[in-house]
Amino acid sequence: MRDLLTISPVSMSILVVLLPLLAFVIQAILGKKSTSGMISLIAIAASTLISGGFVFTAVWDNPTISTTYNWFTIGDKTFTIGILLNNLSVLMQFIVCIIALPVHIYSRSYMKGDPGIHRYWMYLSLFCFAMLGLTISKNLFMMYIFWELVGFASYLLIGFWFTKEAAVQANKKAFLVNRIGDLGFLIGIAIIFSTFGTLDLVDLFGTDGFFAQGIDKNTTWMTVAGIAFFLGAMAKSAQFPLHVWLPDAMEGPTSVSSLIHAATMVAAGVFLLSSIFPLFNETVLLIIAIIGTITALSSAFFALGQYDIKKILAFSTISQLGYMMVGVGIGAWDAAMFHLTTHAFFKCLLFLCAGAVIHEMAHLKAHENQEFDPQDLRNMGGLRRYMPKTFTLMAIASLALAGFPLTSGYLSKDAIVITAWEWALHHGGLYLIIPVLLVVVSILTAFYIGRLIFKAFFGEFRLKDLNVTHLHEAPHAMLIPMLLLGIGALFFIFSWNPLSYADAGILQGLSVAYPFAEIHALHVIIPIILTCGSLIAWWIGWRWYSKGSYPLNPHSRWIQASLNQGYLNELYHKTFVESTLALAQISYWFDRYVIDGLVNFSATAVRSLSTFSSWIDRYIVDGFVNTVAGTTYYIGHLLRWIQNGRLQNYLGFAFTVVLIGIIYLIIR
Amino acid sequence: MGLLSLLIFLPLAATAIILLLPTSLRHSYKYITLGFTVAQFALAGFLYSQFDAAATGVNTADGYQFVEHLSWIRMDLGTLGTLEIDYFLGVDGFSLPLLALSAFVMLMAIGASWNITKSLKGYFSLLMVLNLAVMGIFCALDFFLFYVFYEVMLLPLYFLIGIWGGARREYAAIKFFIYTLFGSVFMLLVIVGLYFSVINPDTGAHTFNMLHMMNPANYVENSFFGYINNYNEVFGIPARMIGFIVLFFAFAIKVPIVPLHTWLPDAHVEAPTPVSIILAGILLKVGGYGIIRICLSIFPDAAVDANWWLGLIGIVSIIYGALNALAQKDLKRLIAYSSVSHMGFVLLGIASLTAEGISGAMFQMISHGFLSAALFFLVGVIYDRVHDRYIYNFRGLASLMPKYTGYVAIAFFASLGLPGFSAFIGEAFVIIGTFNAESVGTGIPRWMAIAGSLGILLSAAYFLWTLQRMFFGQTRLKGGEEWASSLVDLTKREQLILFPTLALALLLGIMPSLIFDNLNSSVLNLVALVAQYI
Amino acid sequence: MITLTHFLVVSACIFCIGLYAVLSKRNAIMILVGIELMINAAVLNLVAFGRYDKVNYGGQVFALFAIVLAAAAVAVGLAIILNVYRKYKTINPDNITDLRD
Repeated sequence: MRDLLTISPVSMSILVVLLPLLAFVIQAILGKKSTSGMISLIAIAASTLISGGFVFTAVWDNPTISTTYNWFTIGDKTFTIGILLNNLSVLMQFIVCIIALPVHIYSRSYMKGDPGIHRYWMYLSLFCFAMLGLTISKNLFMMYIFWELVGFASYLLIGFWFTKEAAVQANKKAFLVNRIGDLGFLIGIAIIFSTFGTLDLVDLFGTDGFFAQGIDKNTTWMTVAGIAFFLGAMAKSAQFPLHVWLPDAMEGPTSVSSLIHAATMVAAGVFLLSSIFPLFNETVLLIIAIIGTITALSSAFFALGQYDIKKILAFSTISQLGYMMVGVGIGAWDAAMFHLTTHAFFKCLLFLCAGAVIHEMAHLKAHENQEFDPQDLRNMGGLRRYMPKTFTLMAIASLALAGFPLTSGYLSKDAIVITAWEWALHHGGLYLIIPVLLVVVSILTAFYIGRLIFKAFFGEFRLKDLNVTHLHEAPHAMLIPMLLLGIGALFFIFSWNPLSYADAGILQGLSVAYPFAEIHALHVIIPIILTCGSLIAWWIGWRWYSKGSYPLNPHSRWIQASLNQGYLNELYHKTFVESTLALAQISYWFDRYVIDGLVNFSATAVRSLSTFSSWIDRYIVDGFVNTVAGTTYYIGHLLRWIQNGRLQNYLGFAFTVVLIGIIYLIIR
Repeated sequence: MGLLSLLIFLPLAATAIILLLPTSLRHSYKYITLGFTVAQFALAGFLYSQFDAAATGVNTADGYQFVEHLSWIRMDLGTLGTLEIDYFLGVDGFSLPLLALSAFVMLMAIGASWNITKSLKGYFSLLMVLNLAVMGIFCALDFFLFYVFYEVMLLPLYFLIGIWGGARREYAAIKFFIYTLFGSVFMLLVIVGLYFSVINPDTGAHTFNMLHMMNPANYVENSFFGYINNYNEVFGIPARMIGFIVLFFAFAIKVPIVPLHTWLPDAHVEAPTPVSIILAGILLKVGGYGIIRICLSIFPDAAVDANWWLGLIGIVSIIYGALNALAQKDLKRLIAYSSVSHMGFVLLGIASLTAEGISGAMFQMISHGFLSAALFFLVGVIYDRVHDRYIYNFRGLASLMPKYTGYVAIAFFASLGLPGFSAFIGEAFVIIGTFNAESVGTGIPRWMAIAGSLGILLSAAYFLWTLQRMFFGQTRLKGGEEWASSLVDLTKREQLILFPTLALALLLGIMPSLIFDNLNSSVLNLVALVAQYI
Repeated sequence: MITLTHFLVVSACIFCIGLYAVLSKRNAIMILVGIELMINAAVLNLVAFGRYDKVNYGGQVFALFAIVLAAAAVAVGLAIILNVYRKYKTINPDNITDLRD
C-alpha cells in the first residue's frame, strides 16, 4: 500500500486509470443529476495532465518499470495484477488520454440536450477507465479483463440511442463479433498458461523472460496460440472477415465513433499484438500480414461506394488498421504503433469534422422539418462555403489520411509501406504481392477520401429547396478540440524532418531491429509514387464529383458490390446467423420431442404397463375367482327354478322322476 | 449443540412456531421466517469468517471444522455385526462456500415470497423444512445422514411446486420428483454396497462414515467395492466403476446434465418465483457438490477412468443448453436452459481434475447461485406485473422501466461472463483448467476447452438477443396501455433484494480470493487424492 | 273276449287323462276332477285284479273304501276350493302364492 501513496510513475499511472472510474462511479450514483459532463471532463483532463506531464516523461526512453500485486491464488498458483510501464504502454496510455480529452470537450457541445446525456458521460468514463487500464496491464489475464470491458463500454455507447432499431442491432453484432475474438484471446491465454505457468508479460517477454531465453516457437501449440491472440486482435481491430461490426457501429453518436471506433479501442488489437510480439513465429506473422493486406484492400474498395459519410470513414479506419496489421506482420510493429498514433489523431479529427457536418445537417433537418438522412453524401455539397473552418480541418485530416507530404500520415504510412517493400524484397517471390497491394490501397484511399471531400464540400448544395441560411459553422466548443487534433495531424509533432520517417521520435523510442536490410532507393521512390498516385486520384475525383462529369454506371456490379460491402453481411446472416438459429430450433425440437419425448414416452409406457397389469389383475387373476363364484351361482340359479312353488310342477317332476325310475328298472 | 446443528435446525424452530401460531396471525409468518433466515445467514457468515483456510478437508476428519460427531443409531444385527450410523457433521473448503450461498439464496427467496397469498402457513413451513434439508446436505459427513437430508429435500419441493406453481404444476412437480427419486434409489443401493465394503478401523464394524469410505485401507478384502483384487463385475463393468456411474447419475440429474435435464425447464417454468430461485440457486449445486464430495472422493480411481466422458457430457450440456436457450420464446425457460449451459461448465471443470478446473467449477457454482437467482427474480418481477413472460410480447421496456432494464442488463452481462463479475472468473478458470489438463495428463483433450468456450459465445448471443428484443427499440407491448400502466419500475423491496445480489457477484468478480482462499487447500487435497490414480 | 289287459289299458288311459288334468289344468276344480279320474283308474284296477281274490273279494272291498274316501276327499277338496275362491277370487293354483318363499 505504501508504494501506492508515494508519487511514483506507477502510482500516477494507476491514478490516470482510476480517475475516469471514479467519474463513472460518481455519475452512476448521481444518476440523472449529472448531465453536464463536467465530472468526466475534469477526470479525463486530470488523467491527461498526469499521463502526459508525469508518467510519459518519466518513463519514455527510461528503463521499464513494473509492479506486481498478488490478486488471488488458485490451487498453488498465484495470479497477479500489475502495472507495466515501458515506452509502448505509456505511449498508448498517453494517446488514449490525448484523444479522449478533445472528444470529451467536443461532446459537451455535440451531445447537448440529449435526454440520456447522463448515461453518455457515465459510459464514456467507463470506456476511458477500461481503455487506460488496458494500456498499462502487465498481465495477460488483466489485459483480457480490460479488453472485454472496453468491448462492453463500446456496446453501451453504440446502443446509446436504444430506441433506434439499427443501433441496438449494431451493438449486439459488435459485441458478438468481439466475443469471437475474446474467445481467441482466452484460448491464447490458456495455452500460454499451460505452457509457461505464468501470464506475466515481463516474465514472458521481458529481457530475461521465457521468450528471450529462446523457446522453440515453431511448435504447433505456439502457432495456435499466436493465431488465437491474433483472432482476438482481428475482432477488436476489425480485420477481415470479422470487420463487419465496425461499419454498423457507426449507429452510435459520432463523438463515440471518433474516440472508440476510430482512434483508440479498435487500435487495441494492434497494441496487443505489439505487446506480445515475441510470441509470434514466422507462420503467424505471415498470416497477420496477409489478413492485414486483405483487410486494407477490401475495405478500401468498400469505402469507394458508400454514401453514408460515417461509413466511408469507418471503412477507411478498417483499411488503415489493415496497414497496421501488415506492419506487425512484417515485424515492424514500431511502424504499426507509429501509424496507430498518427491515425488516432487524423481519423479522430475526420470523425469530429464529419460529426460537425452531420450536426449542422441535422439542425437543418429539424429546422426545415423535412425528412432526409443528414449523414448521406448525396444530400450535401458546397458546404465549404458555409463551414469553412470545418472544411479546412477536414481537408488537413484527409491529406494526412492519404499520406500527403508534410502531414503525419505521410511519415507513418511510408514507414509501413517502405518496410513492407524491404521485407518483401528480402523474402522475394509471392511476398511482393503484399507491398504492391499496399500501394494500390494507398491510392484508393486518396480517391475515396477525395470523393468524400468533393461531394460534401464542393459543388452546389444538393437539397435546393431548403433554406441554406441555417447552415453555419460549428460552435467553438466543437471547433477548438478539432483544432487541437488538427495540429496532431501535422508532421512536426512527430518528427522535425517532414520527409523521412526515420527521425520520428516514436520509432526511435520503440527501436525495433528488423531482420532485413534497409534499401535506400525505396525511401525516395515510394513516397514519390504514392504522392503522384494520390494527386492523380484527386484529379480524377475532382473531375468526377466536383465537375459532375461522372462516367460510370452507378448500377454496375462493382459499384453495387462496394456499396453493399461485398454482400458479406448478407452472407454471414445466411450462413452463420441463420444456421445457428436453425440449429437452435432443431436442438429445441430435439429436446422437446426426442429427449423430453423419451421421458414422457417412458412415463406413458409405465402407465400403459400399469394399465395392462391392472387389466390382467381384473380380468385374469380376479376373473378366475369370479368365474368360480359365478358358476356356482349360475348352477344354483338353474336349480332354483325347480323350486318355483307350483304344486303341479312338483307333481310333474316327481312323476317324471318316478317314470324315469320305472323306465330305468324296465331297461335294466 | 454445535454451530452447524444450530445452522441446520434453526429453520425447524421457525417451522414449529409457524405451525403453532393460529392462522389469524398469518401475516406475521413472513417476518418470522425472515427473522430466522437472517439469523441463519449471520451464523453462516460467522462460520465463514471463523473458518481456518489452511485446513485440508476432503478425506481426513482433522481437515474438517466445526465437526460434530455423535452416535445416532447402534443396532445389533447378530451375525451381520453392528449397524453404525452417526450424526456426523463438518465443513471444509468445498461445503462452506455453498453453505453461505444457500443461506443467502434462502434470504432472497424469502424476500421474493413477500407477495404470496395462498395458504401461507403451509408455504412458509415447507420453505423452512427445505432450508433445513439443504443445510443438512452440505454439512453431512455420514452417508446415511446425507441420504436422509437428500430425500427430505424432495418432499417440500414437490409440494411447493405442486401447490403454489403455475398452470401445469402437477405435471412439473411429479416429473421433478420422479426424476430425482429415480437417481436416488439407485444411490441407496450403492450406499448399502459401500456400507458392507467399508469397516470403521476403530470399532471394526461396518460404517456409513464417508471419510472412512475415502480411505482405501478401510475396505474389506474381496468386498463388493473393495480396492485391491476387486474382480466384481456388473454387466461386464467393474464394480467400482458401476458404483461411480450410479452415484454420478444420481447427482447428474440434479446438476442437471444433458440428456437428464428435461425436468428443469418444466419445474422452473411452473414453480413460483421463490422456488425457482431456490431450485437454481441451491438445488443444482447439490448435484455439483455431490459429484465432488462423493463421486470424486470415494471413487477417485473410477473418476480418473471416466473423466473423458464427464468432460464430454459437460461440453454437450454447455453447447446444447445454450442452443436451446437461443430457441426459447419464454423468458423463464430461456434462463432455465441457460442454467443447463452454465452448469455444464461445472461438470467440465470437475472433469478436468486440475486445481484450476475444480476451483473454477466451484466458483462457477457460487456465481451461478447468485446470478441465476437474480435472473429468476427479475423474470418474476415482470411476471408479477402482467402475468406474461413471452419475449415477443414485450419491446422497448427500457423506456418504461429504466431501473429494471439496468438490473437486467447487469445480470445478463454478469451471466454471460463479463470480466468484473463472478461468472467470468468461474468460466475462465474452467477453460484454463481444462486446457491445462493435457499438461497434467488427466486425459481431457484440449479441444474440449475450445468447444466449451463456444458456450461463452452462445451465451452472449442469447442474452444480448433477448436484451435487444425485449428491452430496446420503441416501446410496444402486447397488452397495450393496460400493460404500460401496470409495468411500474422496481419497488424498494425488489431493489433491496437485487442490489446486494449483484453487488456480491461484482465483489466476487473483483476479489475472487474471498472464495478461493478458503477453497484452495481442500482443492489441492482433492487433486492430490485423485492424482494417485492418474 | 274281454281280458284283464283291456281293463288295465282302460285304467291306464283314465289315469293318464287324470294325470294330464292334474298337471296342466289351471282350474282347481278340473284338477280335482283329474284326481278323481286317477282314483277311479285305481279303483278300476282294484276291481279288475279283484277277480284273483275270489275268497274275500278284497278288490271289491278296497274299491268300495276308495270310492267312499274319494267322495269324502272331493267334499273336503271342494270346500277348500270354495274357501280359496272366496279369499282370492280365483281358483287357479298358480295365482295362489301366499305360501311361496
